Amino acid sequence: MQDTKTPVIDFQAKAHDLLPDNASYDSCLSCGLCSSGCPASGFYGMDPRRFIRMAMLGLNEELSNTPWVWTCTLCQRCAYVCPMSIDVSVLVGLARGNWPKDKKPQGIVRSCEAQMRFPSTSAMGVMPDDFVEIVEEAVEELREEDDRFKTIEAPMDKKGAYFFINQNSREPATEPEELAPLWKIFDYVGADWTYASKGWAAENFCMFTGDDDAWKEMVKQRVDAVNELGCKVWVNTECGHSFYTLWKGVERFGLQADFEAASLISYYALWIREGKLPVNSDWNTKGLKFTVQDPCQLVRKSIGDPVADDLRYVAKKLVGDENFIDMQPCRSANYCCGGGGGFLQAGMNEQRLAYGKRKFDQITATEVDYVLTPCHNCHSQITDLCDHHDGGYQVIHFWTLICLSLGILGKNERRYLGPDLAGIGLPKDVS
Amino acid sequence: MNGPDPTGTKTFETEVLIIGGGVTGTGVMRDLALRGVNCLLIDRKDLNAGASGGNHGLLHSGGRYASTDWETAAECRAEAEILKNTAKDSLDECGGIFAAVDGDDPDFAARFPEHCAKAGIPCRPLSPAEARALEPSLSDKVFAAYAVDDATVDPFRITLGNVNHAQHLTDSVYLPHTEAIDFEIANGTITSVLCRDMRTGDGVRIRAKQVVNTAGAWAMNVAKLAGCADVAVLYAKGTLIISNARMSNGVINRLRAPGDGDILVPGGTVSLLGTSSDNIDSLDNVRPTIEEVDRILREGIGMVPSLEHTRFIRAFSGVRPLLQASGADVDGRKASRGFRLFDHEDQGLSNFASLVGGKLTTYRLMAEKTGDLVARRMGNTASCKTATTSLPTGEADRWTEPGFAPRYWYKRNDPTDAILCECEMVPQSGVDAIAADAVGAEKHMTLRAIALRSRIGKGSCQGSFCAARVTSHLYERDVYECGEGREHMRDFVSERFKGVRPVLWGKQMPQMELAEALHCGLMGLDLQGTRDDESGDGTP
Repeated sequence: MQDTKTPVIDFQAKAHDLLPDNASYDSCLSCGLCSSGCPASGFYGMDPRRFIRMAMLGLNEELSNTPWVWTCTLCQRCAYVCPMSIDVSVLVGLARGNWPKDKKPQGIVRSCEAQMRFPSTSAMGVMPDDFVEIVEEAVEELREEDDRFKTIEAPMDKKGAYFFINQNSREPATEPEELAPLWKIFDYVGADWTYASKGWAAENFCMFTGDDDAWKEMVKQRVDAVNELGCKVWVNTECGHSFYTLWKGVERFGLQADFEAASLISYYALWIREGKLPVNSDWNTKGLKFTVQDPCQLVRKSIGDPVADDLRYVAKKLVGDENFIDMQPCRSANYCCGGGGGFLQAGMNEQRLAYGKRKFDQITATEVDYVLTPCHNCHSQITDLCDHHDGGYQVIHFWTLICLSLGILGKNERRYLGPDLAGIGLPKDVS
Repeated sequence: MNGPDPTGTKTFETEVLIIGGGVTGTGVMRDLALRGVNCLLIDRKDLNAGASGGNHGLLHSGGRYASTDWETAAECRAEAEILKNTAKDSLDECGGIFAAVDGDDPDFAARFPEHCAKAGIPCRPLSPAEARALEPSLSDKVFAAYAVDDATVDPFRITLGNVNHAQHLTDSVYLPHTEAIDFEIANGTITSVLCRDMRTGDGVRIRAKQVVNTAGAWAMNVAKLAGCADVAVLYAKGTLIISNARMSNGVINRLRAPGDGDILVPGGTVSLLGTSSDNIDSLDNVRPTIEEVDRILREGIGMVPSLEHTRFIRAFSGVRPLLQASGADVDGRKASRGFRLFDHEDQGLSNFASLVGGKLTTYRLMAEKTGDLVARRMGNTASCKTATTSLPTGEADRWTEPGFAPRYWYKRNDPTDAILCECEMVPQSGVDAIAADAVGAEKHMTLRAIALRSRIGKGSCQGSFCAARVTSHLYERDVYECGEGREHMRDFVSERFKGVRPVLWGKQMPQMELAEALHCGLMGLDLQGTRDDESGDGTP
């Protein structure tokens, strides 16, 4: 089935239709700021500027068929630095959608198909009943293990709860012990929250297949689930694209959402400012250094500076001002790590690791011990880069460090910590 | 046969010397070479430096002249057919339409089919809806329209192809930047033409049996050098503007008496709108003006409204060398588009001919008539073969075609072959091929000479990046040494800027601010000393 012909798109005409007049391909200055800052530059002879020029020169067949569109992570750094604000990713997305299904990277296609199969919308195939059961078991275990949490709850389908929390499938499917730190934080601040048995999953690989209908369908199921429970705020877990997919999807597809979409990071910052989450860096007696990865989807592509500020505020409170080192460039100008856009699932490992070398070098230049990644794809990719390029850093979620700082991080919740932190802050009766 | 003579002047011998490297001069060169004649072609600048490089690239169906000059129209139709059969690679058979919009003369429009019929030009009536389906950018105020067989032609590819073919057939030679300055005449026969190499200042003597003057707008000057007072050329300056993207499928002509801004011609990946027509007295400092651009655009918008918001990247001008018959109308638009071959025998010369007037579309026929005269004078009985012989394209002469470079580069998939011109995606290998093997390739080739043989500098950035990149590459290849590359770069970008200046608004403005930052702010080209300017060519 590998011989299905890819239809040919008229890219120049589509750019004219889909992009604003003053930021269409016709406005390109050929300056190359897009390409010099694009880690996918060079794969298959392509880069963002070349994509635009080839469109203008009518090389539609070549553009319709180049596998480069699967190495572009749709991170939009090119659009961010473009003096004319040209967004190349719009037509890269179009080109992806134009590929016959049997030619698209099957890892992405299968993940999307898995999401479409059950009302969980989980790319890892975790069904609604399984999710409910896994959460119940994990809550039971937590109550039994630690007296401090013997009444803790992980509410399911609770009507009228203030927060609707989505959940990346990775934790329930493969590392359930990573679920509890977040619950402990909600418990600590007294948040009124709920999971749902339907539409609970965060990830959306359908968005990466270029299939707009599938993207819309996934977001709609989730929006319906939140509307149904009457929650005020939908909070996504520490994950970039899962925020973007709903935040952008509601606008793009004109969906009726009776709630606000917010990032967990913003609430961490709020709760710290309000004194509800009294974290500090007293535990960091060794002066371990930390940096933070700005997820493209959360920072550059959606909330921008406010969440970039919050990321740094939370990180500095946790590790100490003097122990926080920013990568350069950072915030909205940050480089994509190479874990986005479905690259992790695309089966193009050689290109993905080469793409990520730029990120690896950025991290290495900071000489940090830990990288905080409020994003599952960043977390996986930056861990992979460390293994592949023999780096010396650890990659962790914020929830781990928040619980560590508050002295509530359980013994089995430390898989991503290095030996230097493995024993810090363990409750005395457990250690 | 060539070598320095005892006085130190380099001497060339040839059967036929052709003065003027436009489409007619190169056409004559190929015509004669196909008859087995060795030719030497000179141009004081380079190929297509005059009207051959400063036009729409329109291969007329004849419709344009059907109503005013049916003989030219019929000639266009016949010649266009021949070129479609023999020079396919250089053409885009895109078709064309004639459309009249509200305000245009309905009688003129109504008589169009009858005029076309008289000249034997196929024309098919279209309803306004059909016309707009064919050309969506056409005004919704169109009330009459006809489809015709217009096509477009790449005049650079034709010229390069002509010279390449002649070189191949009879070892004919092309010498760029060589100006004729004097004729040595004995007993009514030109024995030598004395020339000057414009780059080195050295003298060049050319001995030829026959001399042909195809200097276009400069034909009168050349004829006078030979003592002939019979050639009279009317200079009609025409200005055109180039859009950043192709705006139509085929040629769009305004169906009215010929006027400003009434033809929009696709040129591969861009479109050309023109022209203006203004009589001028001097060939010095011919360059597009803001007033002309405004005029062309004002008229063009009536036909294609989106021109109002179109990004234009450059304007350029050419001078039509029109035949001035004694007592003829002085309006350039009404002057004949026909041509005339002067044998100068009444001027007392037996081996000199001047070919004047005509059109790009009819260049082959003009060359045939000239070839017939010259061959007859030389006792050569071979007949003309250009009507049936295909025009081959040399390996190094394919780079003028829009879209060729990126396809070639992409297919070749060689990551070491870096792109030098990003807009038109011309790779190193293209520049290397041109510098080594293109028609007119020579040591220390200028940036403008390379650009003329490729798409370099013709994209939206108009040389902002490629000027520096190609220059650097040529230093690396030891083509340039010391400060010469910097001079060529300055010359190239200032020549480009003359064309950009009159279209400097909207989207092209930030482009040129970036160019200024690079060329002046970064490289300080504005502070560099000036050199003699060889400008004036209208390469689009």
